[in-house]
Amino acid sequence: MINLKNKLYLIMPYIRSILNIIQINKIIIVICKLSQRQVFMKKIVFAVLLVCTVGIVVYLCSAKSDKPVEQQGFYMGTIISERVSGHNAKKAADQAMEEIKRLEGLMTINANDSEIDKLNAAAGKNPVKLSKESMYVLKTALKYAGLSNGAFDVTVGPLVKTWGVFTDHPRVPAQNEINNLLKLVNYRDVQIDQTNGTAALRNPGQIVDLGGIAKGYAGDAVIDIYKKNGIKSAYIDLGGNVVVLGSKPDGSPWRVGIQNPRAPTGKYIGILNVTNKAVVTSGDYERYFEMDGKRYHHILDPHTGYPSNSGLISTTIITDSSTEADALSTATFVLGLEKGKKLVESLKGVEAVFITADKKIYITKGLKNIFTFDDESKEYTYVQEG
Amino acid sequence: MFKKADIILVVIIIIVAAIGYAGITIYRTAAANDVKIAEIIQDSKVIRTINLDALKSPLRIQVSGDYHEVILAEKGRIRFEDADCPDRICVKTGWLTKVGESASCVPNRVMIKIKGESQKVDGVTY
Repeated sequence: MINLKNKLYLIMPYIRSILNIIQINKIIIVICKLSQRQVFMKKIVFAVLLVCTVGIVVYLCSAKSDKPVEQQGFYMGTIISERVSGHNAKKAADQAMEEIKRLEGLMTINANDSEIDKLNAAAGKNPVKLSKESMYVLKTALKYAGLSNGAFDVTVGPLVKTWGVFTDHPRVPAQNEINNLLKLVNYRDVQIDQTNGTAALRNPGQIVDLGGIAKGYAGDAVIDIYKKNGIKSAYIDLGGNVVVLGSKPDGSPWRVGIQNPRAPTGKYIGILNVTNKAVVTSGDYERYFEMDGKRYHHILDPHTGYPSNSGLISTTIITDSSTEADALSTATFVLGLEKGKKLVESLKGVEAVFITADKKIYITKGLKNIFTFDDESKEYTYVQEG
Repeated sequence: MFKKADIILVVIIIIVAAIGYAGITIYRTAAANDVKIAEIIQDSKVIRTINLDALKSPLRIQVSGDYHEVILAEKGRIRFEDADCPDRICVKTGWLTKVGESASCVPNRVMIKIKGESQKVDGVTY
């Protein structure tokens, strides 16, 4: 029933324009009959008809690009903005928000009753059954932990908790406290049992924190929902993780700016032209606190227990999967320019933009034609290699 | 049936129609992007719309919720002026002056934005 209604709505403009043409024809015929100079009139009539037809065709073409549905939501500890075009846009956008909310409920460790909370509570004791979504995210996280030699590690939970960067009261832990916590950080201690759909943590006190990858997974899940609703063009921003479906409604690629790490939110240093891609950034400016004149940001190096100090202040990953982009942006940020670039270049279909502390911008080869350096602040240098 | 003049006439009409359409489209986008309309959104709902170009004197708007915020609107620009949320990222964002720019306070679930599409980017990854 709803489908039929939608279809009727779709063809209404066509029916109306056909009726218009018929009416115009009738009027013209009447004028012609009244007229003595029929040949001349015919030409006028022809001209009028043509103008009307051209007008209608142009109108129909432009009517196709309906105004996109834009909406915001506050989930996963951040702001989510979507811009969806197409006939089911509103429905798709609503479903997407619902899905993000649901995934947050599965994977958060800030609510005390999520699956991941149960996994953490059972650390050193028993395996815990996980949904297929959490299982996929955990498996992907472990894959990139392996690829990055632990630079991205979801067992960093005990450190994140102690630093409290995401709380109202962050603090700098003492060195011996950090040393003790580091013993709990090891992705190899996450044991996955595929056949039973369970996961377990080897030692008591270990904590899995999916904060560095759950938003990424939500991005992929949302794109699936858009596709199921027949959406061909959409843009979603999950707290800075951008995922685009197709191209813009007018057919041109989406233009995604890369945040200037030392300027207010929204100021960018360059633009990426992308279609069907996830664009995810990790930077030292997203969350941080200052203590005794020193700045401490939120991306902890799982090997040192301190905020990552690799010489990078921002890393952007461009690839098909938003989940992978999320894991890789953190991994490369911690690895630093040289190792990070090497890792990205070893993976198929993955590209990256790196910004170093001395304000130099590096890109991987595949971005040459889609990245435009555009720095309003005039503080950055674009390093083009080869 | 068609004379040369007819064909010329047809071509002229098509060109005139095309130019007219292009003109209207350009005019519309330009007009839409010229007027700066700010929206204050809380919990996904628009709670206030302000025409920034029409403002004669500065306007302060109080937003309550889990935290308290003061939004300051002036002619052509808007910002979070003050907030008692923990990270104050909203205040640090500073002035929004261009169409398509936004600032948000996640703890209080409030966002301000200048409506419309930016000419240069569709969004920014951060």
